[in-house]
Amino acid sequence: MSAPTEGFILTSSPHDSAADTTQRIMFAVVLTLLPAVVMSVFYFGLRVLGLYLLAIVTCLLTESLTRRARGRSPWSIADGSAVVTAVLLVMVLPPRISPIALMVGCVVAVFLGKEVFGGIGCNVFNPALVGRAFLSAAYPVQITTWTVPNRVFGFLPQGIDARTQATPLAAARFEGIYEALPNLVFGQIGGSIGETGSVFIVVGGLAMLALKLIRWEMVVSLLGTVFVLTGVFYLADPINYVSPVFHLFAGGLMLGAFYMATDMVTTPYTRIGNVIFGLGAGILVVVIRLFGGYPEGVMFAILLMNAVTPIINRYSDYRVFGAERAGGRSRSADGATERKGTQ
Amino acid sequence: MPVRTFKKGVHPHDHKERTASSAVEDTPVPALLRIPVSQHLGKPALPVKGRGDEVVPGELICDADGFVSARVHSPVYGKVKRIVQQPLPAGRMSDYIEIEVNVEETQAHEWQRRDVDLDALDRKAVVDGIRDAGVVGMGGATFPTHVKFSPPPTAEIDTLVINGVECEPYLTCDHRLMLERTTELVEAIRILHRGFSFKRILFGIESNKPDAIEAVSTAAAGVSDTPIEIVPLKVKYPQGAEKMLIYAANGRTVPAGKLPLEIGVVVANVFTLVAIEDWFFWGKPLVDRVITVSGDGIKEARNLRAPIGTPFSDLVDGCGGIVGDVTKVIAGGPMMGVALPTLDYSVTKGSSGLLFLTNAEVVDESPCIRCGRCVDVCPMNLMPLKLAAYARAGKFLEARALHLNDCFECGSCAYACPARIKLVAWIRYAKNYVRVHKL
Repeated sequence: MSAPTEGFILTSSPHDSAADTTQRIMFAVVLTLLPAVVMSVFYFGLRVLGLYLLAIVTCLLTESLTRRARGRSPWSIADGSAVVTAVLLVMVLPPRISPIALMVGCVVAVFLGKEVFGGIGCNVFNPALVGRAFLSAAYPVQITTWTVPNRVFGFLPQGIDARTQATPLAAARFEGIYEALPNLVFGQIGGSIGETGSVFIVVGGLAMLALKLIRWEMVVSLLGTVFVLTGVFYLADPINYVSPVFHLFAGGLMLGAFYMATDMVTTPYTRIGNVIFGLGAGILVVVIRLFGGYPEGVMFAILLMNAVTPIINRYSDYRVFGAERAGGRSRSADGATERKGTQ
Repeated sequence: MPVRTFKKGVHPHDHKERTASSAVEDTPVPALLRIPVSQHLGKPALPVKGRGDEVVPGELICDADGFVSARVHSPVYGKVKRIVQQPLPAGRMSDYIEIEVNVEETQAHEWQRRDVDLDALDRKAVVDGIRDAGVVGMGGATFPTHVKFSPPPTAEIDTLVINGVECEPYLTCDHRLMLERTTELVEAIRILHRGFSFKRILFGIESNKPDAIEAVSTAAAGVSDTPIEIVPLKVKYPQGAEKMLIYAANGRTVPAGKLPLEIGVVVANVFTLVAIEDWFFWGKPLVDRVITVSGDGIKEARNLRAPIGTPFSDLVDGCGGIVGDVTKVIAGGPMMGVALPTLDYSVTKGSSGLLFLTNAEVVDESPCIRCGRCVDVCPMNLMPLKLAAYARAGKFLEARALHLNDCFECGSCAYACPARIKLVAWIRYAKNYVRVHKL
């Protein structure tokens, strides 16, 4: 025999793996965002396209530099997570955001939101939302100045720059004016770049569900909770409360439910954990929207639930096949518990 | 008929098309056999033949050392050349008995069928026969079969589940066996039924083998004294794992940390059954087996019947040799098999496959993104990402408290992991640590 008979690769089983890698998952998420991204450029003009590109470059650069500083290969940015963060951050910012503010947001999102925790997989909070939260504090005026979309790629039909206008949620909350549902669904409203036109988010979200990139439990739990709770208030007092359908399609709820609450790193990994997260986030969204100082609460709801995710993960283990009760914290034969040894 | 299955699991590409329709062929009688004394779970067998001793087919060469051990017999006419120490595929060292084969005499040898009065068989005769024949679980776990059929006084066996699942990719030896030796399979079930009077006999076969389902159904319908229920199963890995198969076939759950005996069930692989039939009707102990030789790196993929102890290099020659740039050789299937450093090993009772892969590469782990896919696929409902993280951090007690030892290393988690984390390797490491340090 001339063929080699030694020097074969020695690795532990299994010797086969599914096609998906972290990189492919991130890439697929960006692809499913494309309908919403294209529509946002269509609505708000080419300036927004520039914002997306600027954000992607800034995020990748920030990640590359911090990874180099941490002694990792700067090429590990190829996992694509920074691109996802960049696109999502732009989508939750108002269309007139200044490039400087955007860059600040990107650096904060990647550096403080992710890299300081140890990089991908280690962060507690959704990086894009960390960036958004920082900008809320740093640029309070810019971040609440909304424009109504122009239709034709930034060419202004009436020769005026885009009108500024309150978001439908703010109008409903503070002025008692309710936006018509078709406008909410297709995005002829004031709002963040990617949050208007909920239908395009839903299209991408359904694609992710079909590809099993996200879990339906989270989406159903979060949207269902918001729908039911706002429905209860609407039925009890339809004069002062908006319909639950309005709440579903207004603001950032769809983007939050499909793309933020489903971020793998910062949300629970069991299905029951996803349900708990969605329930908690849904309650917080409704409480903030109906009773809080802000008209919109998706960002805070998800960030707060991110904070309790480690606890949810600790207490939502599955019941082991054939075991009498769930979790591993039940005492084993000699009394050792999971906690033992961690002190 | 509704198609049953277990919960969770994965769907690896099955790669069975290359050998699924190739009939079993005999390898040429090898000139030299290298037979390990440890081919089963439990204590290694004790050699009863030494250098220079003549052996004949079926002659005992190693006796069982205690209850949880298994006999080893000579497949050939020949002479013991020497006893050497060599590693087993899994890495442990074992004594190997090297036999210089008398090729011509062995080629001429034929096993003679003997008359068996099935009605005279009682449980003891059945179990003793299984032990005498050196039969072990041939699905790969190689647990001595007579131990499985010797319940403690407190337990009673009421259900026999036959494993015709063969869920490992590439492997087709069980599939071929169900087609080519259907009669013997049913005969073996009759023998066991004489000893145990099972309440139910369930025969699980995955629905990607419709020809096997049909063949076994037809044969089972032909016997009146032994009711065999054929259970078609949805194709999913690891359905061939005992606990998963029992759940799939009749919805019963084996308690965590316990054996199927606990709920009165015994699972037997189809190959194990044929070995039992061979002993009772032909006086032939377990001295050969069928092994699937496949993968892109082998010229002609085949299902070969080879004597126990046949060097792997002989199998390669019997399949036209290696083609292309083989980067990985696996003893067993790709999900649970063992990667081999060289071809310097031989066929054992548990050898179900020998695979030559050309596309294997070493992939680095990337950070866990907590996607939970390992959690979604683990058929035992374990939390592989937690177990691996504890193993990495050296927190073995914590891992054990999370049912570390309920992992049977099917590999579903590592298969599904997008970060390519070696979850099974970490879990194995923790299990070994816990075992060695008696935590």
